[in-house]
Amino acid sequence: MMKPTQRRSRLLALLLALALCLGLMGCAGGNAPGSSTPAPENSSPVPQEPADTVDPNAEIVLAGYRNLAPGEKDGYYCSKILYVWEPLVTQDGSAAPVPCLAESWEMSEDGTRWTFHLRRGVKFHDGGDFNADAVIANFDRMKLGVKSSSFYPLDIDAHYPNLTAYEKVDENTVRLTFSQPAPTQLYNMVNFGSAIYSPACFDEAGDFKGICAGTGPFCIAENKLDEYVLLERFEEYWGEPAKAKTIRVRVIPDADTRFSALKSGEILGVIDLNAIPAALAVELTGDERFALTTTKSTMIRFLTLSGTQAPFNDLRMRQAVSLALRRSEITDGLYYGFGTPTTNILNYATPFYKDIPVEEDLAKAKALAGEVLGDRRVTVTYLYNGAEAAQKGEAELIASWLGEIGIDCRLTPLEYAVMREQLKTGDYGIARMQQGLSNSEPSTIFRRFMLTGGDHNKNYSLGYRSDEVDALMERASSALDMEVRRECYDRIQEISAQELPVVPLFNDVTLMAYSTRLTGYEAKLYGIELPLVAWAQ
Amino acid sequence: MTMGRYLLHKLLSLLPVLLGITLAAFTLGVLSPGDPAELALSQGGYEPTAEQVAELERQLGLDAPYPVQYLRWVGRALSGDLGTSYRSRRPVAEELLRRLPVTLELAAWSITLACALGLFLGCAAVIGRGRWPDLLIQALTGLQLSFPAFWLGLLLILLFAETLGWLPTSGTGGAGHMLLPAVTLSSATAATAARLLRSTLLGELGKPYCTAAAARGITPARLVVRNALPNAAVPVAALLGNSLGGMLGGSVIVESIFALPGIGSYALEAIGGRDYPALQGYVLLTGLIYVGVTLLVDVVSMLLDPRVRLGGKHL
Repeated sequence: MMKPTQRRSRLLALLLALALCLGLMGCAGGNAPGSSTPAPENSSPVPQEPADTVDPNAEIVLAGYRNLAPGEKDGYYCSKILYVWEPLVTQDGSAAPVPCLAESWEMSEDGTRWTFHLRRGVKFHDGGDFNADAVIANFDRMKLGVKSSSFYPLDIDAHYPNLTAYEKVDENTVRLTFSQPAPTQLYNMVNFGSAIYSPACFDEAGDFKGICAGTGPFCIAENKLDEYVLLERFEEYWGEPAKAKTIRVRVIPDADTRFSALKSGEILGVIDLNAIPAALAVELTGDERFALTTTKSTMIRFLTLSGTQAPFNDLRMRQAVSLALRRSEITDGLYYGFGTPTTNILNYATPFYKDIPVEEDLAKAKALAGEVLGDRRVTVTYLYNGAEAAQKGEAELIASWLGEIGIDCRLTPLEYAVMREQLKTGDYGIARMQQGLSNSEPSTIFRRFMLTGGDHNKNYSLGYRSDEVDALMERASSALDMEVRRECYDRIQEISAQELPVVPLFNDVTLMAYSTRLTGYEAKLYGIELPLVAWAQ
Repeated sequence: MTMGRYLLHKLLSLLPVLLGITLAAFTLGVLSPGDPAELALSQGGYEPTAEQVAELERQLGLDAPYPVQYLRWVGRALSGDLGTSYRSRRPVAEELLRRLPVTLELAAWSITLACALGLFLGCAAVIGRGRWPDLLIQALTGLQLSFPAFWLGLLLILLFAETLGWLPTSGTGGAGHMLLPAVTLSSATAATAARLLRSTLLGELGKPYCTAAAARGITPARLVVRNALPNAAVPVAALLGNSLGGMLGGSVIVESIFALPGIGSYALEAIGGRDYPALQGYVLLTGLIYVGVTLLVDVVSMLLDPRVRLGGKHL
């Protein structure tokens, strides 16, 4: 028979365990969005009302894989695609610079001075005026040093190379002075290169003091890190106001979960890089509740070949690899047509892109490889990012084609960080990499991959050297005439396709999916034009 | 040994354990190839220049020798400062505290579900032993143990969120949001608890006190629940308590699938970005939680079972 004291002890123990569980469950409840803020009107998992009954001011919920508003410690606070801040210079559909907060500009004859005339009557979200003082304060902030970001580093030296002075000319005019001619400076300033914030929203160290205040058509009403950012229409916006009153952008890291959330109606669209994998996107085709939107991406996928050792230190072997590839089979078979084959190192989203026909010729590839290898076969290590499922299939396809020209590939999946380190050592044969275009001025890409001292040339052990490219880059950098610069860039692209510092595979396509209950959801070079997104009537 | 001394001894033994695991985490981190500054700058597909990487290395103190970096971290950690994340540039302690409630809520739901399901299935299997309920439960628990958590999670989302629309796919916001992640995380633990309980219950039922109770005409269900369960539950309670460590580890994947901003998903990002301060902060915190819960389980076990003594004396 159990004694009363023993019974009490057991009861106490059970109560203790129960209290612990309940306490832990409750401790997070106070911070839940559902309790502290109104629940999103359309975040319910249940099927929603028909489109014709939707309140045009109802909240629109979208999702991306990462924090689009990383907050105070990020150099930009949030991504450009949220339309919270605006740059002095933005870009059009062909990636050419067009006015935004700077209404117009002119370059001095010697190319060392740029004068920007600012848009008048523009207000920041905090009520402050946008003027030359605000622009100068933003330059002062950039001058404090590099600020890291989830998007691009905020680095005055990268966006304004050779800048020696910035000054206020009058209330609505600023002037930048460079030590070298900077005829393509506008390209460096596009979007992230000239983001402008209210000087009242950052401190002396240049860090944001709270939610950032830009001039964009949306302001941030709430930012719950790693969960969502809530955007509200800025009623005093200088241009065409945003169509949607509020947009909530959730963070859903897993692509399958994002897809399920879209299909269940929990979210109405996916945005940002890697919005939806091609394999999932094709499942939506034919379903009238959803639509896809695509445009050129600034990302290019390519193979790096270790040019510091045999066999790829021989140009003929690099050319043989390129000729043996069947790029359209990769883009059509593995990426469902969402990709454009290329042999040009430069991404197709810049106006400087030269369309070079893709040459694929197995017989020629065999002949070139035969000249180098003779009757031998060579085994090389093929590195790819193990976290990307499509890269495995891609590697297997490429390995099978290279087998036909005497190259046997040892496929090695690695974590991306480990792979980058391996590339530095040069102890590999082939590696699958990608490169984004930070702005549409292509000199950065050429410099990094093709100049003898270029950082990618060294870090990827490309071993590439071309006196002609070095001379062309030198000529381009001092050319004030854009046509001369274009000629130089055209020639460098031709050389890249012939000498193959890397072996390009395909240009990416930006792919996004959305519910047909929305209108204005159109992919742009960088994100979607959020202010045009609205409920369909 | 008194309870007070026992607890003090346990708490003091924590210090070298915590120091050891943070050192191990740091050493493994720096041994793994990958430059934290380069990775921090290359988020979003951008490729930083060598100058940008060097500047960030200087800012983060990564240009110092590894022992200096670790000792600096230990020095700051002793005063409660776990350093600053290389990726987010936010204080690690602040990030962990912001995320901890989500993980604790998930763990509590998971433990509760594992406990309820384990008890129910274990008892039901014994009450219906040798017949279809027992066989069905054995098959079910076998299935639960063989399902990888990430796959189970995706299947649950597909069924209950995408197809039926009963529950949300992801995020936080209440019990509805926690149900699928908790089922995913607790499934294997519930199956283990059910099997262990079945086995210990069968052992108890063979003992004379149960035979005597059965001889007095008590129903099988009452015999199992009232008589055998209190004694058979002690090892199950220890198992559930100790499984919390596994759940904290398992939450890394579950949080990522269900978009729960807990410390598990933070650790996953930290590993990918070689974010040593974030990783060490995570290891320190989970180590503290794990050791604390183990201690609590010891105390609960002693209270549940008077036969457990410290130093040969009753508590």
